[in-house]
Order: sequence, then structure tokens, then C-alpha cells
Amino acid sequence: MTTNVLINPKNRSLHWRILCDCVGDRDVIFYYEGYFSQAIIAAVADAVKLRTEYVGATNSTRRKLFSSFIEMTQNIIHYSVDAYAQQDAADFDHEIRHGSICISTEADHFYLHCANPVHNDVARQLRQKLDHLRTLTIDEIKREYKEMLRADTAQESKGAGLGLLTVARDASAPLEFEFLPIADSDNVLFYLKATI
Amino acid sequence: MTELYIAATASSPEIDFRFSERHLSIKGEAYPENAALFWGEIITAVRDFLTSDNSESSITVDVSLAYFNSSSTKMLFSLFDALNEKAAAGTPVVLNWFHDEDDDTIYEFGQELCEDFTDLSFHDHALQG
Repeated sequence: MTTNVLINPKNRSLHWRILCDCVGDRDVIFYYEGYFSQAIIAAVADAVKLRTEYVGATNSTRRKLFSSFIEMTQNIIHYSVDAYAQQDAADFDHEIRHGSICISTEADHFYLHCANPVHNDVARQLRQKLDHLRTLTIDEIKREYKEMLRADTAQESKGAGLGLLTVARDASAPLEFEFLPIADSDNVLFYLKATI
Repeated sequence: MTELYIAATASSPEIDFRFSERHLSIKGEAYPENAALFWGEIITAVRDFLTSDNSESSITVDVSLAYFNSSSTKMLFSLFDALNEKAAAGTPVVLNWFHDEDDDTIYEFGQELCEDFTDLSFHDHALQG
């Protein structure tokens, strides 16, 4: 990524500009930026299914795109620090948080990009997990997935600790990521890319 | 024992558990926002049934999920764990695992279940798209 902008909350169209930078000359087949809720994900999921079918992706590719799309967008509603309203734990079922997701394609490959702000602490944990995942072969990813499936779920996880492993398992190349600083803030913008 | 029926939504499957008929069916797509909550209630109902049930006639479970998210994956494992315990205690449990013939992910997850829950009578059903 070549973006060096110092992000601040008044920096309009930031997600769009970052994604344009990452997408380059590839065809964008889907883009959404805004608040994500479970209802929005379900509706947008329909659009993603139609769009990936329309552009002629194979069944297997469509399933992988859909799976990664759900994992990424549910990560946004669970972990983005840009929440629509201050939520407490009891409202876990109705979280609304801000982020963006983009699907692009080039020469039979598909790319999922997502971005959302996270706390620095979360960024450190994510970096550790993702750095580790990038060192693994697909067989090692599958083995780790199987181990995690049978392990006790970590307390801080709202899913099962399987989300990023699932995205890594469906990807055909190591996951790429970046943390961009946000001016005058303890948060950073988390950007993640999966190649399908 | 009351039956358990939950209609499908865009992001959660139809749950049709007819305990009196010893037939449990799960069908659709599963990516609820809070998988622990959605599946937790279902697993509790199944555990209650299994605990109170004295019959040794077989239980049939049909699972036809076109997609489930990562957090549902783990909850499904707990559900089959409960059923496997029942089977180990002497009540036959048949698990019919349906998936599209070219869906490797769901096929492989079925194989994981088969590997771990050896007391279940596992049947893989590959359906033509």
C-alpha cells in the first residue's frame, strides 16, 4: 500500500480513497461503506451472491467469497470502534458499526478488501494473529483450524476465534493487512485483503 | 416434551425438532450475529430432551446447511457432541449430512464430525446442484 495520508475523522471519503489505492486497475464488482448491522449484512449478502454469479465466478469461488464476506463484515460489527451509538454488553445482538467492504476482480482472481477503525490494543492482537497466519501453509492453516475447532473459546472473542482462520483457509494467497494511523486518536484504521 | 420450531431468516436456518417423532432437522444458512445465543438455546433444548428421554429407539438428525459462519461452526460441534454422548449411552443416533456435491468445505466439516463423534451413525449425502 502506498497511502501515507494521516487519517483524521473529518477526512471524508477516506475508505473510498484507500480502497481505490489498493484496488488499482482491477474491476470493482461491489463496494459498500457505512454502518453495518446484521440486517444490512443479510441484505448486502444477497447483492454479493447475485453480483458474483453475474460476473461468472465458479460455485467454489462464490462460496469462498461469500464466506470471507460474512466473516469480514461480522468482524466489523463486532470490533469496529466506530459504533453508531454507545452500546453495552447487553446490546450485543444489535450492534451497528462503521466500516467498508469491497470486492474486485482481475484475471480469474477475486479480492476482498475491508477496513474499519480499531483500538491500538486490538490492532496489536490482530497484527500478532495475522503475522502468524502469513507464515503458515494451507495445510498448516487447516490443521490449526481443526485444533481451534476443538479448543475452548477465548474470552475476548465474540465469535469462536475461527474468523480469521476461516478467511485464511478460503484464500489462495497469504492475507495482507495494514494499520494506518488516525490523527489525535488511540485508534488505527485496520485494512485487510484476501485473495480468492 | 415440547417440540422446537424456529422459522428460517436470511441469516439463520429453519430448526424443526420433533422430539416426539425423534426427528431433528436443520435447514438453510447460518450466520446469526450472536451464534452463542442462537445455538445456545437450541443446544439447551436438545440436552433437555436427551436427558429426559428414556427410549432407546433411534434418533434421526437431518442437517442441510448451505453455509454456516465460523462462530456457528463451533456451536454445531457442541450440538453433535451432546448427540454423540447419547449414542455412546446406547440410543442410536443417525446423522444425515447433506451438502452440494462440489461443496468441499461442508463435506470436510462432515468428515471432521465423523472422525470425532464415532458413536454417531454418520451418512454423507452429496446432492447434485
